Amino acid sequence: MSGLYIHIPFCKQACSYCDFYFVTRQNEKQNFVDQLISEIRSKKDSEFNKEKIKTIYFGGGTPSLLSPLQIENIMQEIEQVFDLDLKEVTLEMNPDDVTSDYLRGLKEAGITRSSMGVQSFDENLLRFMNRAHSREEALACLDILSNSGMDSFTVDLIYGNPGQTPEMLEKDIDTLLGFDPPHVSAYSLTIEPRTRLGKQLELGRILEPEDDKVAVHFDLVVDKLGAAGIKQYEVSNYARTGHEAVHNSAYWSHENYLGFGPGAHSFWWNEDKSSARRWSNEPDLKKYLSGSGNQFFEEEHLTLSDLAEERIMLGLRTVVGIDIEALKSEYGHDFGEKHRKYISEKESEGKLKRENSRVYLTREGLKISDAIVLDLIS
Amino acid sequence: MNNIRNFCIIAHIDHGKSTLADRLLQMTGTISEREMQEQVLDDMDLERERGITIKSHAIKIDYKRPNGEVYNFNLIDTPGHVDFAYEVSRALKACEGAILVVDATQGIEAQTISNLYQAIEQNLEIIPVLNKIDLPSSDPEGVGQQIVDLIGCEFEEILTVSGKTGEGVPELLEAIVERVPGPAQEVDKPLRALIFDSVFNTYRGSVAYVRVMQGVLRKGDLFKFMANKEEYNAEEIGYLRMNYQPTKELKAGEVGYVIGSVKSLQDVRVGDTITTVKDGATTPIPGYQEAKPMVFSGIYPTSSEDFEDLRSALEKLQLNDASLTYEPETSKALGFGFRAGFLGLLHMEIVQERLDREFDIDIITTVPNVKYEVKLEEGKTISVDNPSQMPDVGKIDTIFEPYIKASIITPADFIGPIMKLCQERRGIYINQMFMQNNRVEITYELPMAEVVFDFYDKLKSGTRGYASLDYEFIEYRKGDLVRLDILLNAEQVDALSSITHREKAYYQGRRVCAKLKELIPRQQFEVAVQAAIGSRIIARDSIRALRKDVTAKCYGGDISRKRKLLEKQKEGKKRMKQVGAVEIPQEAFLAVLSMDEDDR
Repeated sequence: MSGLYIHIPFCKQACSYCDFYFVTRQNEKQNFVDQLISEIRSKKDSEFNKEKIKTIYFGGGTPSLLSPLQIENIMQEIEQVFDLDLKEVTLEMNPDDVTSDYLRGLKEAGITRSSMGVQSFDENLLRFMNRAHSREEALACLDILSNSGMDSFTVDLIYGNPGQTPEMLEKDIDTLLGFDPPHVSAYSLTIEPRTRLGKQLELGRILEPEDDKVAVHFDLVVDKLGAAGIKQYEVSNYARTGHEAVHNSAYWSHENYLGFGPGAHSFWWNEDKSSARRWSNEPDLKKYLSGSGNQFFEEEHLTLSDLAEERIMLGLRTVVGIDIEALKSEYGHDFGEKHRKYISEKESEGKLKRENSRVYLTREGLKISDAIVLDLIS
Repeated sequence: MNNIRNFCIIAHIDHGKSTLADRLLQMTGTISEREMQEQVLDDMDLERERGITIKSHAIKIDYKRPNGEVYNFNLIDTPGHVDFAYEVSRALKACEGAILVVDATQGIEAQTISNLYQAIEQNLEIIPVLNKIDLPSSDPEGVGQQIVDLIGCEFEEILTVSGKTGEGVPELLEAIVERVPGPAQEVDKPLRALIFDSVFNTYRGSVAYVRVMQGVLRKGDLFKFMANKEEYNAEEIGYLRMNYQPTKELKAGEVGYVIGSVKSLQDVRVGDTITTVKDGATTPIPGYQEAKPMVFSGIYPTSSEDFEDLRSALEKLQLNDASLTYEPETSKALGFGFRAGFLGLLHMEIVQERLDREFDIDIITTVPNVKYEVKLEEGKTISVDNPSQMPDVGKIDTIFEPYIKASIITPADFIGPIMKLCQERRGIYINQMFMQNNRVEITYELPMAEVVFDFYDKLKSGTRGYASLDYEFIEYRKGDLVRLDILLNAEQVDALSSITHREKAYYQGRRVCAKLKELIPRQQFEVAVQAAIGSRIIARDSIRALRKDVTAKCYGGDISRKRKLLEKQKEGKKRMKQVGAVEIPQEAFLAVLSMDEDDR
């Protein structure tokens, strides 16, 4: 079973925190769709369609800048090329694009799950993030979404913003809970170097969020969503039971996936499962449209020990954690004496728990999992 | 006819000694244009970049006078820095004359004066020369008057040259013949040859550069070093040209080299006397001293795997630099390394830089310190050259520290900042003397410990580079000193211990704690950062425990990015130094160790 990721690189405007690949010009959307379709077609009868496709994810950029018809055309091409056994087809959207007609169209095109980039309901924070939508638009669109009849939907929030108090965050969460979302992705603000915020940080106009403050926000999100039955299952992901994201979870358990569109990444195991490779298309729409962006831009070969480290890192970000036995049988990885001792230490510090061969981090551990992972692989 | 002339050039850094030397070599045909490399005498990159000669060399020049007479000149180069005063004195000893080169645009500097006085003391004939007269900003009148005041010569005796254009150089060559006396040529006396320098050659061992003061050294002679009585066979002797030029004998008055399968440079000590085993001299040339390190510092490899490389690099450096001493040392914080002794601060800097450049080894050096004499309660006195070895307060009766006499020459505008700097460094004002050209010589006595760190840099930056410094050790004096320790979670960081004046300890302790707090990343537990004198805590800070560091997003391409970051962090972790459970990044150590005196 594998997944498909489709990157739609169009945005109305640049969000101040975003470092994904996008362009703000809109005049090449149809050309792009045509090229995307031919990229998908090029995979026909390749090594990649021996497995059934379980999930499709339209990410961006802003996929909701495409029309339902364009989405339908892409979906049709996917059906032509791949053998499908779909469990989840997600499309990211922004509040300012959503109408009930639009959602209906998407549903007919095969989308089963909407991912709504709300980020905040606070007008000031929306401005700080340079989002294209207003609080009112967000409220209206969530209203439509919760009555749309899609299998599921998810809402993105960003916390830990400069100037954001726990009270402000609490308000955002309460507002969101009013719409009874089955799934929430809540991210602590990360300031990436090649973004507007990155620039402002460099110029000293804003400060990096303080980790103590962000820790308070983190706890608040876990507690409030948890109390509403939306439980944390990964560092930044929360869901009612049964609504966990299938596509994203596949990333964390090293399942195969193929990416289409400029800047999209792919990951594929070798046949004997002794190594894997990850590669990406060049993040350049112009080249992509000329057909030359659809070649390996960056490619890395991952040895089993690279993969084991990744698996530890990814696994410890989830509430399931890692299975020491599985690490040994699937990745040939064995924790040495030093690391076993470390695991015991962290257990006694309350940062980690063990259940048979399973090791997972507690909430305190999860918050500092970067440090713990580094210790476990050094 | 006595046609030998042995002389050196005394000059301040940047006053054009090397350029002038080049010109002498070129105009006498000692080297051809093709061989002409900029500043031939300085053959180490480092020297060329710094514009100073670190190690002295010598070269034989054949000079044909306009009247047809041929003279043999031996130009003996002298190191131009304050740390090498002893080496300079030995080089001077090998000469009968000295060319005093003063930059006509700048005037005379402290270092020059001290070397000049040495030369006068040794009865050398001084030929005063004003250099850079081609520059519009030159002031031959004023600077010339300075020289007249200083050495008491006639104004007319001062030559004016331009090393750059060659103007005045023919006159200088003639002056050397006419004014510098020929050496005594007492060939019948027992051999006494003064070693004024030595170099190590991978294939031939140590090569001694000598001036034969009396007697004759012949190829094949059995000779000995009078300081350590080691005996060797003179396998090859010769003259110092651009290359070695073997000869059969070196006679009294001549300068040359001696090769005798001497494996260790330690045997070939500058200032020592060579004599023949058979019918040799009974007393050496006076003035020989063992090289005495004055400044000490721990040198540690950045990554512990480099320890053996560092050892062999130090060995190699020592082959060419007998004044460098080192012995293995272990630090709890920095691991295995060495405690090295240097003649002075510049010497230390040179060694550190050569380790980096020539051997490509990343090192951490601890804050330099001097050697203390510590009188213990029980009555005995010990020497301490490593702060972490300073006994506990209760066991100490008195600590004595070395003092120097520093003379600083500066344009009068900077008297204020210089006096302020010296006062801050516990200096004792002695006097000031006004010179020509609106310049002043200021003399202070200072604890050497206050000078070894960044005094020189501060002096330079406070005077826009104009002030020059010369110093000499005077004596040990009682000091109100304490050992300041830095503790992380109650564990002493030995590499950060320092010996400091009691009054400065509090400020310094606070500053170091604050710096560490800033630079040590949060750990999974709280870290107490403390400064202590003995068991008394005088400053404290704490680094709060890490609360949240987890990456927010980890999908598709993020995973590769995250893994690469982890790989990098893993490498970084290898270079972390560990004190107890606390991991300290290299940068934190470096930052604290390089904090300047104002910060400390």
